[in-house]
Amino acid sequence: MQKTRFIKDKTAQAIMFALTIISILMVMVMFVGLYLKSASVLEEHSLWKLLTSSEWRPMKGEFGFLPFIASTLWVTFVAILIALPISLLTAVFLTEYAKSYVKKFVFPALDILAALPSVIYGVWGVLVIVPWISKHVAPHFMDFSTGYTVLAAGIVLGVMVIPLLVSLFIEVFSSVSMELRECSLALGATRWQTTKKVLFRRTYPGIIAATVLAISRAMGETIAVLMVCGCVIGIPNGILEPCYPIPALIANNYGEMLSMPMYEAALMFAALILFFVVLVFNLISRIVLYRLEKRLGS
Amino acid sequence: MKVSTTKKLRESVAKAFMWMAMFIVFGFVISVIWTVFSKGMKAMNWDMVSKLPGGGFYIGKEGGFLNAIVGSLYIVGASTVLGLIISIPVVFFLNVYLKRDSKLAYTARMAFDVLFGVPSIVYGAFGFTIMIYFGLRTSLLGGIIVITLLIIPIFIRTMDEATRDFPRDILDASFSLGATRWETLRVVLRQIAPGIATATLLSIGRAIGDAASVMFTAGYTDSIPTSLSQPAATLPLAVFFQLQSPIPEVVDRAYAAALVLTVIVLILSISGRLITNRFSKNKI
Amino acid sequence: MIEAKELNVYIKGNHILKNVNVTLPGKQITCIIGPSGCGKSTLLRTLNRLIDTTEGVKLEGKVLVDGQDILSNDADVTDLRRKIGLVSQRPCPLPMSIFDNVAYGCRINKMFNKRRQLVYQVQKNLKAVGLYDEIRGRIRTPAARLSIGQQQRLCLARSLAVEPEYILADEATSALDPISAKTVEDLFVSLKGQYSIIMVTHTLRQALRIADHVVFMYLGEIIEQGPAEQVFHNPKEELTQKYLAGAFS
Repeated sequence: MQKTRFIKDKTAQAIMFALTIISILMVMVMFVGLYLKSASVLEEHSLWKLLTSSEWRPMKGEFGFLPFIASTLWVTFVAILIALPISLLTAVFLTEYAKSYVKKFVFPALDILAALPSVIYGVWGVLVIVPWISKHVAPHFMDFSTGYTVLAAGIVLGVMVIPLLVSLFIEVFSSVSMELRECSLALGATRWQTTKKVLFRRTYPGIIAATVLAISRAMGETIAVLMVCGCVIGIPNGILEPCYPIPALIANNYGEMLSMPMYEAALMFAALILFFVVLVFNLISRIVLYRLEKRLGS
Repeated sequence: MKVSTTKKLRESVAKAFMWMAMFIVFGFVISVIWTVFSKGMKAMNWDMVSKLPGGGFYIGKEGGFLNAIVGSLYIVGASTVLGLIISIPVVFFLNVYLKRDSKLAYTARMAFDVLFGVPSIVYGAFGFTIMIYFGLRTSLLGGIIVITLLIIPIFIRTMDEATRDFPRDILDASFSLGATRWETLRVVLRQIAPGIATATLLSIGRAIGDAASVMFTAGYTDSIPTSLSQPAATLPLAVFFQLQSPIPEVVDRAYAAALVLTVIVLILSISGRLITNRFSKNKI
Repeated sequence: MIEAKELNVYIKGNHILKNVNVTLPGKQITCIIGPSGCGKSTLLRTLNRLIDTTEGVKLEGKVLVDGQDILSNDADVTDLRRKIGLVSQRPCPLPMSIFDNVAYGCRINKMFNKRRQLVYQVQKNLKAVGLYDEIRGRIRTPAARLSIGQQQRLCLARSLAVEPEYILADEATSALDPISAKTVEDLFVSLKGQYSIIMVTHTLRQALRIADHVVFMYLGEIIEQGPAEQVFHNPKEELTQKYLAGAFS
């Protein structure tokens, strides 16, 4: 009897161990898999040229990713620009100022934003944001715009990222003890002074780490961006220009991938770039948190 | 009292900005929901959820998107089951078998964090290469595999957080009674059952709404797949593809599909929240 | 002088302070004594209206600080808090350097125009709590690295730097080791000539040592108050006698 129990325990342990190891290895497997698939395009072109050239002519075997990289950067920048202040203020309001009944309304609203699928945001973007830009924003600056622009993608992406940022900020702010705030208030500081000089000072590693995480999430977002970006190849010159971020590139062209082997490798390389960037940002976020917390002596 | 007034002025200004931010957030939520519901309700009728699209999914005017509903159900259902089978043992292993500060646990959690953050399109691209390697074409099976890969990190992350708060004393009590770790699992299971339920709802919500990963792997079709090797339609792709059609009836189908998708996701989200709220009162 | 008249405090419906009428004389050390949970801290936090931060709080009655009712709607709360300093039980250094900690109150209240004046103020108050010599050369380092006893003295210096008239101390020495506790206690005694000090103390012995005026509370009510001599040696109420005799903690 005793032996069977022992065997059961050990077998279970072995299986679980195996599953865990396999899961860890997935990261490497994915990286290696994508790398192998991009091998042919990497052999023919130097990494530098791939990343900095703007010539995108798959028929001729020229793959310059710069327009797509630039588009991704532009769109992410606009998104964070919109999302960061709104999220920060909302999070501060919820942790420092709001009474419970206000929270009862706001948290469900944030939950809804967080749960909505990407394609729904895309639909909203196409029906609301794009026409708004085309009719109300662009006419101030140019003759004509379809509305499918960096700005549209940035706004949609920004809204998608807000719930993530707010929940991360709230987590960070809540970890600061009430006593610390009371100390500042007891000296005659207003709530905002306390927030600025005590709370932010204490939590800025967390704020940075959260933002880095949000950036990496924004960079990988596909469908919503695809629907409103315009999908025009070229480095955008302003936020009212159309663009073509990397995930949109991959999604749009997977059908034609199989016709040209190099094309497939190029798109896999694009996926590899994304994977790599997310990996790096994840690590950066962790390191920032670790280093700065150490320095603050907490 | 000049000092007081500057302080107070700044405070009022800050408060004003905060209220503005809140209104903006609410404004967005209402705008999105309103758009989906108003367009969707107009287009919605019983046919939508009970019929297949009539001939050529960009062109056929009649019918609904039953193909997408069933396709999504198949894929999400299978992936959830597979995902649970793989994730629960891993979470147990990390929290019950391994010591709290073991290096393996740390590395594993870090790996899962990375996998959690990988965009779904990368999963799609990777899944695609795997499929090609094994000679599969876009199929139901492909979709299931990729979605499973996608939701495993979500499962593990959510359940891990729920299990980390698990009081160590209960484990010790069980061990000191002579139970093996495998037997102690039942105790743990009961305690974290709500956590598992929430994780499941969260993952289903994520899985059913994801388009980028199934694009390459499950493909799209007008019919309901009858075997694992046939392509399958999914709700998000039903919205995406049909929205681009020049025919208004098809576009209407897209809106209706968007409505159905949104309603499903909202129900899942609310249920998840209710479970967390209800059960957090009973936790030790 | 601080007077409370018919003060009632409710927190989430619970009646915490019941019909409190108390007079706290100026320029003395007043000790508020009583068993745990009798409302001492609540009373203290009402005096500088830090109680406002608690959810579900309702205040009734009047609290007159130098003749002005601080519970009225147009009372200037931030200004009040500057006038009444607070040292809490656990030392709470702000996440900044020692210098910035002490200077914090001065800066937010914009007390000085010239940097020289600020530096002088910081030094003066660090000397007053006996920290200045101990931290020579370390004044720009994070305050979190000080020992607990030093941190508590830092908190005191911080409160003094805004030039309050009253100092509230909520069991300020209970988290410290005996030596630091003694140092802090002695500090309070030395300060009583310039400031009115109101201390909540959990241990009777501390009150016996340093109190000039005593307030005894039990279950949210003031049982007895008066000069230390009188309350300790000639208590009027039976409850007070029991407490002093050590019948309950």
